[in-house]
Amino acid sequence: MSEVVAPTLSTYQDDSTFSYDKYKSEHKKRPYLNLNSNDKQELISAIIDYYSLNELVAHLEANPQFDKITLQFPDELISDSSYIVEYLQSKIKERQFWVLADTSYSSCCIDEVAAEHVQANYLIHFGDACLNEVEKLQCCYVFGKPKLDLNKLIEQFKKKFDKGDNVVIMSDAPHVHLLSTIKEKLPEYKNLVIADFTAPNSSKIIGFTPSEQLYIKFNRSLSIQTTSEYDLFHITIPESPRLLQLVTQFNNLTTYDPKTNELSSGPYPNLMKRYRSVYIARTAGTIGILINTLSLNNTKKLINIIQKRIKDAGKKSYLFVVGKPNVAKLANFESIDIWCVLGCDHEGIIIDQVNEFFKPIITPYELLLGLSDELQWSGKWITDYKSVIAEYENEVREEEEEQDDDDDESQPPEFDPVTGRYISTSRPLRNMNLTITNTAENSNENALVERFSNTLTIKNTVSTSAQHLQNRHWTGLGSDYQNDEDSEGALVEEGIKGIARDYHPDI
Amino acid sequence: MVAFTIEQIRGLMDKVTNVRNMSVIAHVDHGKSTLTDSLVQRAGIISAAKAGDARFMDTRKDEQERGITIKSTAISLYASMTEDDVKEIKQKTDGNEFLINLIDSPGHVDFSSEVTAALRVTDGALVVVDTVEGVCVQTETVLRQALGERIKPVVIINKVDRALLELQVTKEDLYQSFSRTVESVNVIISTYVDPALGDAQVYPDKGTVAFGSGLHGWAFTVRQFATRYAKKFGVDRSKMMERLWGDSYFNPKTKKWTNKDKDADGKSLDRAFNMFVLDPIFRLFAAIMNFKKDEIPTLLEKLEINLKGDEKELEGKALLKVVMKKFLPAADALLEMIVLHLPSPVTAQNYRAETLYEGPSDDQFCNAIRNCDPKADLMLYVSKMVPTSDKGRFYAFGRVFAGTVRGGQKVRIQGPNYQVGKKEDLFLKSVQRTVLMMGRNVEQIDDCPAGNIVGLVGIDQFLLKSGTITTNEAAHNLKVMKFSVSPVVQVAVEVKNANDLPKLVEGLKRLSKSDPCVMTMMSESGEHIVAATGELHLEICLADLENDHAGIPLRVSPPVVAYRETVEAESSMVALSKSPNKHNRIYVKAQPIDEEVSLDIENGVINPRDDFKARARILADKHGWEVTDARKIWCFGPDGNGPNLVVDQTKAVQYLNEIKDSVVAAFQWATKEGPIFGENCRSLRVNILDVTLHADAIHRGGGQIIPTMRRVTYASMLLAEPAIQEPVFLVEIQCPENAIGGIYSVLNKKRGQVISEEQRPGTPLFTVKAYLPVNESFGFTGDLRQATGGQAFPQLIFDHWSILGGDVTDPNSKPGAIVKEKRVRQGLKPEVPGYEEYYDKL
Repeated sequence: MSEVVAPTLSTYQDDSTFSYDKYKSEHKKRPYLNLNSNDKQELISAIIDYYSLNELVAHLEANPQFDKITLQFPDELISDSSYIVEYLQSKIKERQFWVLADTSYSSCCIDEVAAEHVQANYLIHFGDACLNEVEKLQCCYVFGKPKLDLNKLIEQFKKKFDKGDNVVIMSDAPHVHLLSTIKEKLPEYKNLVIADFTAPNSSKIIGFTPSEQLYIKFNRSLSIQTTSEYDLFHITIPESPRLLQLVTQFNNLTTYDPKTNELSSGPYPNLMKRYRSVYIARTAGTIGILINTLSLNNTKKLINIIQKRIKDAGKKSYLFVVGKPNVAKLANFESIDIWCVLGCDHEGIIIDQVNEFFKPIITPYELLLGLSDELQWSGKWITDYKSVIAEYENEVREEEEEQDDDDDESQPPEFDPVTGRYISTSRPLRNMNLTITNTAENSNENALVERFSNTLTIKNTVSTSAQHLQNRHWTGLGSDYQNDEDSEGALVEEGIKGIARDYHPDI
Repeated sequence: MVAFTIEQIRGLMDKVTNVRNMSVIAHVDHGKSTLTDSLVQRAGIISAAKAGDARFMDTRKDEQERGITIKSTAISLYASMTEDDVKEIKQKTDGNEFLINLIDSPGHVDFSSEVTAALRVTDGALVVVDTVEGVCVQTETVLRQALGERIKPVVIINKVDRALLELQVTKEDLYQSFSRTVESVNVIISTYVDPALGDAQVYPDKGTVAFGSGLHGWAFTVRQFATRYAKKFGVDRSKMMERLWGDSYFNPKTKKWTNKDKDADGKSLDRAFNMFVLDPIFRLFAAIMNFKKDEIPTLLEKLEINLKGDEKELEGKALLKVVMKKFLPAADALLEMIVLHLPSPVTAQNYRAETLYEGPSDDQFCNAIRNCDPKADLMLYVSKMVPTSDKGRFYAFGRVFAGTVRGGQKVRIQGPNYQVGKKEDLFLKSVQRTVLMMGRNVEQIDDCPAGNIVGLVGIDQFLLKSGTITTNEAAHNLKVMKFSVSPVVQVAVEVKNANDLPKLVEGLKRLSKSDPCVMTMMSESGEHIVAATGELHLEICLADLENDHAGIPLRVSPPVVAYRETVEAESSMVALSKSPNKHNRIYVKAQPIDEEVSLDIENGVINPRDDFKARARILADKHGWEVTDARKIWCFGPDGNGPNLVVDQTKAVQYLNEIKDSVVAAFQWATKEGPIFGENCRSLRVNILDVTLHADAIHRGGGQIIPTMRRVTYASMLLAEPAIQEPVFLVEIQCPENAIGGIYSVLNKKRGQVISEEQRPGTPLFTVKAYLPVNESFGFTGDLRQATGGQAFPQLIFDHWSILGGDVTDPNSKPGAIVKEKRVRQGLKPEVPGYEEYYDKL
């Protein structure tokens, strides 16, 4: 290599890494637009129509104060972005547009952080959205208006439900505009309720006028208050957190996949599995708070509440911000006993159906259940931050009458119904005076691990990670040779030269 | 009226040479509790009239109702012996007063764990054997356990009255029956005895076997009769004892002893045992039961039995009971055996110390145990929890092996996972009070020195089932008990009313504490599981849970069996998985572990805490492992001690030690939830053949290695003929001949496999032994009763794990169906995944 490329950490790379992926063909499938030909003009007009761009232009013209505008696209719609920007720029002059893609957390949410990078004061969100409130950014939503073969859908619907059934019809955001039409086509169903949009407080939905309905649930407005006696008919298959939330609230749930025109009724995520995780939280000593959103309203408040609550329970918490968390990323933190994820209830909560993750992942509400003095299980699954914060604040906590015993007596261990054992490590912040046996004075080595493991507290902060390190076989370079019989050691050899990324033992 | 005071007992505790800690063990219904009553009655705790039917040691209502013992119960008794007896004690003694700490244990196989807990704190065992039924499965099990703990046995052959009254045997028949029973006990003892214990066999002519009837309250040893006759014949007692057992005959004409059963004229002679020991008993029985009123007074006079006023009016069985009780009081014979032949704590701890202590056998703590030193640092083992009258609180019941425990003393409570220098499972706490367990009552004492059994108040919240209590931070744990039974029968319990859930969890905790063996846990799908050793055990546990510990109505699922996942062959090819970043590769092969090795691991013979060289020695010498492999065992799993192993067979892999922790963590995870249907693995050995690691530490961290090691373990298992193991019971059924046909037909229907069928000599009873899969055992007792007209009662005890033949991936096969059902219940895909799901191509 003649040119010097900036070294990145060892992922194998060559010149091709830094060249752009070119589109192999100009044509990209856009099934949602129902195009008949490859004609570009037809495509553009379909896009304008699909995204109600003229209405959007009108909306922007009416609000001239928004001069730095970001357009956020989910991965599957990003190919339309260039046409849209081109169109908007042709209509609205002297304003700046940016396209935001590859959203760090969940693409259904407003990505405030990305928008702040360009100091935008307005964001237009395209595609399916969760409609959860965000902290401060002004925004509007464009869902698009996909078409469906309603006759097929109605045929399937009639097969599934009898005329007297209590049914709620719901859909993902882009399909909501079809719901009232569907209702009109099913006049014989008397107990049919559709889930319409509510008007988000500060933002607008382009191409849609919210209807007035009484009760607000799941970011939709319904004409009924309790849903537990209703069956749910959901157009498109929601992501698993949303699915789980709906399963807990409705009597029965049927999903309709518009692509295959098929109904499905399960298997759905199991709430009882989460009951188990709640107990694991109860005996966990170290809790990792995993932030999987930055823009949701009340995130900071909730983090603070959770951290305090964990500390009150005598447990240790660590805060993590991980973009697109996966098994490997979370397994790097071995000392974490359980993860508590803060994320959007549409996509941002990780639901581990097949026990893929090394340690279980729960939601703030489940954590609250686990930390409460007496664990009650109602089968509820609360995810929206407002209610969760309310739950945390409502929880009446008995003042724990500690400190009346001798300080040097241990607290009893916690019984763990998951394993049927006593867990002595569930409250690492208690009994500190007992667990610190030797102070750092007698440590003659400067090794960090050594110091950590002897003190367990660093500037009065308990470190359960240090405790974890202490229990490892391998505690750092050379530690594996301490008990070696032949203390001779090997001769020093010349090693490999260069940068680590150039070691390719097997490529 | 109590014939002794607590102060007296407390005084004796210090004279530890005069203490005997013993348990009463036997097969179910051989009469342990009834015999114990005789001893308790002697101590004056229950009235003489009630002994025999009071069952003082059965403290629970259901025990009294069912007539079986469920929990072991301890009591301290006081005994004073004559100078003459004391002289014969072959160990150090101080005075003629003795303290006997006795534990009555349950006989039903389902409660074997209670026996284990009792044996740990005692040094001697009184083995009770039924004259008619002889040595049964549970006799063998408990005896084996006792010998494993280095506990010395003495035997009483019980229910002799049945032989006399029901079977109407002759004297010689009875002698033969006694002799056979002693013989079969000795066969078991010689099979399982630990050389350190010395000769543990029992001999009637040495006074280590007694004969009697607990129900009638009488018993005798050959020694007692020898004492009577020694004066008469003017010979030494020990000589007389030899003459009164075995092939020893007395010729009344020549007044000579001989070892031939014919005299010079060819006339047959009576065996000395029959003539001098059995004859008076037979004559008494004959006279009283045949109402020969004229003979009785002379007989009584000859035997120096004085009846009181209204006792003279009695007749038949009632009279027999009174007469025999006066003639040969059971307590005398038992006390004599216990005091003379069972070891004192000083004697016993000398040879038991190294088997009790987990640490090095030459450190100060082990030496203190060996010397039973009351002034050393405290070493106390809590073997079980005994419920108090205060709901949810328990006495920690255990034995002081060294030092002295007292109320108010600050102690270190070390749970089963404690290791010296670590903080896990370690608590500091003051003992509130120390108490003496007296059957259903407790008596407070100020302190308790080494060698004695004690109950502790105020530390129950720190120990679930058992643990070590000490005062020195360098002390290792006392060894955790290993149970002969395993909780293989499970049910899921749920509350009827959702608000009761916290009570259920609290109840499960209390249930776990109150029983040494029951397990409570939660399944993957969030159900609360209670696992017990058998149907009866489960029934008792659930009743306790519902009525007592939780006190709420419950819904209980039908019983299910705990299975294990295993492999039957070596992986057909090397399994390879790549890390998520594709920069690390692990190459492994799975293979099965020999059953003997798995058993040794499960029994703690091969132990992850042992020195790796010692462990390698056992594996190489006993099991034929390669020494290099045996030394390179990385870990046991699941839970760090299960019968699955990771062996490092790599050569010169850089950074290998660095990933060891991640590999270990992943293996625990993988063996806890196997690939077939999420059950524990068993008998799985994973050989790591090669590892390629990224040169930068961050790219070979836990996040990359843990999921990869788990995947590759799964892949290697699925490539190695995966199979499931099911637990199998050993069934023992005693029945008359005409019931055997019924037994066979029931066993056939339930995949049972008969292993032996024997007639018990001298009786019309047959003993059938068979293997029966636990899965088929539900309702077995009822079916058997039906098929045999109520003549056959089985004893079922967990025996081994057996591979359930058939392809686990084929839902039409037997194991396949079980696997599929479980997977569906857990919300997994119904099909077992192929190895391809976890295997990565190079």
